[in-house]
Amino acid sequence: MSRPAAAGPQASAGAPVTSVQLHQVSRHYGTGEARVQALADVTVTFPAGTWTAVMGPSGSGKSTLLHCAAGLDRASSGRVVLAGQDITRATDATLTSLRRRTMGFIFQNFNLIGSLTAEQNVALPLKLAGARPSRADVRAALAAVGLADRARHRPRELSGGQQQRVAIARGMVTRPSVLFADEPTGALDTHSARMVLRLLRRMVDESGQTVVMVTHDPVAAANADAVVFLSDGRIVDRLIRPTAAGVAERLTRLEG
Amino acid sequence: MLRISASTVRDRWQLFAGALLTVTLGVALVQSAVLVLVSTGEPEIPPGTSARDAEQIREGYAGAATLLGMATPLAMFLAMFIVGSTFAFAVEQRRRELALLRMLGGSRPQLIGLLLGEAFLLGLIGSVLGMVLGVPAAWVQARLLIGIGLLPDGFSPGWSNSVLVLSPGVGITVAVCGVLAASYRSARVRPLDALRNTPRAARVMTAGRWLTGLSSLALTLLLIAAGNGTDLLLTLMVGMGISIVGSVALSALSPLAVPLVGRLLGTVLRTGVLGELAQANLRDAVRRSASTAAPVIVLVGLLVGLTGTLNSLARATGADLERITVAELVVTSDGAAAARIPHIPGVALASPQSQVEMAVTARYREEQRTYRQTHHSGIIAVDGTAYRRAHRLTPTSGTLDDLRGRTIVIGPGLAGEGILRGSVTARIGDEKVKLRTVARLPEVLENRSANFLVPRDLVPAAILAEAPTETMVQVAPGTSARAVADRIRAAGIGDVRTTAQWADARVEDEQRGTMGIMAVLMGMSGLYAAIAVINAVVIAAAERRTEFAVARATGLSRGQVVRMATIESTAVTVIGLFLGSLVAAAALAGFQQGGILAVPWTLLALLIVASLAVTAGAGALTTLAMTKPSATALVTARE
Repeated sequence: MSRPAAAGPQASAGAPVTSVQLHQVSRHYGTGEARVQALADVTVTFPAGTWTAVMGPSGSGKSTLLHCAAGLDRASSGRVVLAGQDITRATDATLTSLRRRTMGFIFQNFNLIGSLTAEQNVALPLKLAGARPSRADVRAALAAVGLADRARHRPRELSGGQQQRVAIARGMVTRPSVLFADEPTGALDTHSARMVLRLLRRMVDESGQTVVMVTHDPVAAANADAVVFLSDGRIVDRLIRPTAAGVAERLTRLEG
Repeated sequence: MLRISASTVRDRWQLFAGALLTVTLGVALVQSAVLVLVSTGEPEIPPGTSARDAEQIREGYAGAATLLGMATPLAMFLAMFIVGSTFAFAVEQRRRELALLRMLGGSRPQLIGLLLGEAFLLGLIGSVLGMVLGVPAAWVQARLLIGIGLLPDGFSPGWSNSVLVLSPGVGITVAVCGVLAASYRSARVRPLDALRNTPRAARVMTAGRWLTGLSSLALTLLLIAAGNGTDLLLTLMVGMGISIVGSVALSALSPLAVPLVGRLLGTVLRTGVLGELAQANLRDAVRRSASTAAPVIVLVGLLVGLTGTLNSLARATGADLERITVAELVVTSDGAAAARIPHIPGVALASPQSQVEMAVTARYREEQRTYRQTHHSGIIAVDGTAYRRAHRLTPTSGTLDDLRGRTIVIGPGLAGEGILRGSVTARIGDEKVKLRTVARLPEVLENRSANFLVPRDLVPAAILAEAPTETMVQVAPGTSARAVADRIRAAGIGDVRTTAQWADARVEDEQRGTMGIMAVLMGMSGLYAAIAVINAVVIAAAERRTEFAVARATGLSRGQVVRMATIESTAVTVIGLFLGSLVAAAALAGFQQGGILAVPWTLLALLIVASLAVTAGAGALTTLAMTKPSATALVTARE
């Protein structure tokens, strides 16, 4: 499998190689004195079947970029295209249906539903989408993250790493075209973090999954195919086939 | 979706416990009221009861039915209100979880469905518990109605299969209606909220809240303006209206009103560092403060307003009785003894009024239709001229002086009814006579006033001698009423009271039933309010675990944190009490004119003490529980 790099707006909308595309996207909050420019004229493409890490100092707008790309936050101006569909001004119903079929999410703090077992948590997106998930599918998703024997456990009976793996199984069970990950290793110890990153790598390599990941950890970013650096709401740098040392060096330069 | 509902209810039962208890109590109350009502529908009259007693039993049954009919909707309203406020709060607490469901592909209708599903389950479980509890509740209710004299001793509530449908219907309706508003709120939760570590301060004053609050406030102001008249009945209706609408208005607007009054309290609180912290929290956590204050507002506004209104009506009735009675003394005796009163020295005028056992059949007209009705009670034998002189009642037609021989006067009790002119048929003992209507008396405030007045010479002496009689006595000028009263007592005629004492006793008698039911209602609403307040305090404390830990890490001792939280909840309660009293004052303002205002001070004091005890206690206890783990463990702990 090739590793296409994060590139400029060269791919046309709707082409299978393009999963997520932001075109001159700006986002600001508040008005007047309190106006904050979170994203300024950002143009970026996340090609299908690649893993891109979004990095930058605190407050650089990396979370806003992720939120706008996933249609969770609305761009003040510019255009967002997700899996060939323009979602810039999409209705809530359209976004809901995209969340059901096209997007998956992984969070720093796992966000599993405490009252449901691992199995039920994984089956939830399918149920919300109105499908009747087969137990075999759900078990297979759990087995893929190495938790086949934890199906009946509730989140509080699992370690942090295990909870994050359940969350990954939940994010993958609908076979979404894009998986958005917000600091997926932020709350994990190094061992668990490494396991989660290995899982993501396997999904990209074996299933052609697209992953957009916000992180501040150079080691995590080094697992991605490409790294996009943000500062003050603008893309200031890119790195293809990153190494942890290379990422750390650029970050230091940005923060300095 | 129902499965998620079920597991949420199971897993977060603390959030729902209060609402469940509320639904259970509501269903139990409604079911027991219905069971008693069904049994009162067909009064059982023991064989051998006299016609007059039978009519009194029937009237008692009707009175019981009216009171239950008033109590039941109020209980349902309160239950719905509490379920509503509990769920509104619960949605706020679960914002992240709901946002997560949106993030995972849940649609708005699905979220609404989730909450309504929870409400349905809650209603169902509450109904089952309520149906079980409703059986003993019906017995208690019947005992109570027997106790206040509305139902006869042998009364026992039966069973009706209709409650098998009715009770779950009530429980589920109350729960679902209560949750409706909250479920629409949940649909406004944005998926992005799941990603925020501290939930964005949600707007507390929602459009619905504004709408409810402002329209109720407008209606309250309109009612206050309307109640400024002199008509007592209008004042009464307006007072009751204000108690209800005003409570709704202020509780809906409490997120605005609470910080406003909180600023006033601030000068007192700011004297110490803990007070300052508490005041800052009060201002900042508007939703939490409002959730605690709202039930207190409703409780005080409703109970003090309604009780004050009823007490004022009673006082007005007493004043009216005293106004129309022109006599210093009232003697209670039998008819034979009453005949001796005029011979007592110092008695200028004696007007005997004997309740006689007879039947009067009158013809009525109602919308082009005439019908007959027979009355057995409230038929009073009087001396027409003496009665006229002893009462300030100007007949709307005719004159009391004509009350002689085969004649009759239509009393205040039937003044509003459409009795046809001409004559009525009366049955005294075995004799049947036709009586000519010679006068009609105007309406009075008292409910149990006379239906008919008949001349004493019409009634056979034997019946008259045994009839229970009240004699209005005017004392001759220059004679002390006390001396005359002593002489009447010395003559062994009967019980002597001043007119004021007699009027008070009569009003108290009339009010006894209402007050009994009010007592039950008050207990019920007090319990509801306590549930709501404790609920709000406990749910809120859970979210403050970290906040408390931070406060401790900053240098506050555990005791100081507990004191801070207690000051805060006490302050919120004081604000709620103040706003509720404001509603009650508005409701009672109309009675100020005419000096018939009766403020239930004892009740107010009781409510103040009880609500302060409950909120301060619940606040202190939950804060103690929340601060048990070490502070550092909480400050550093992740979700």
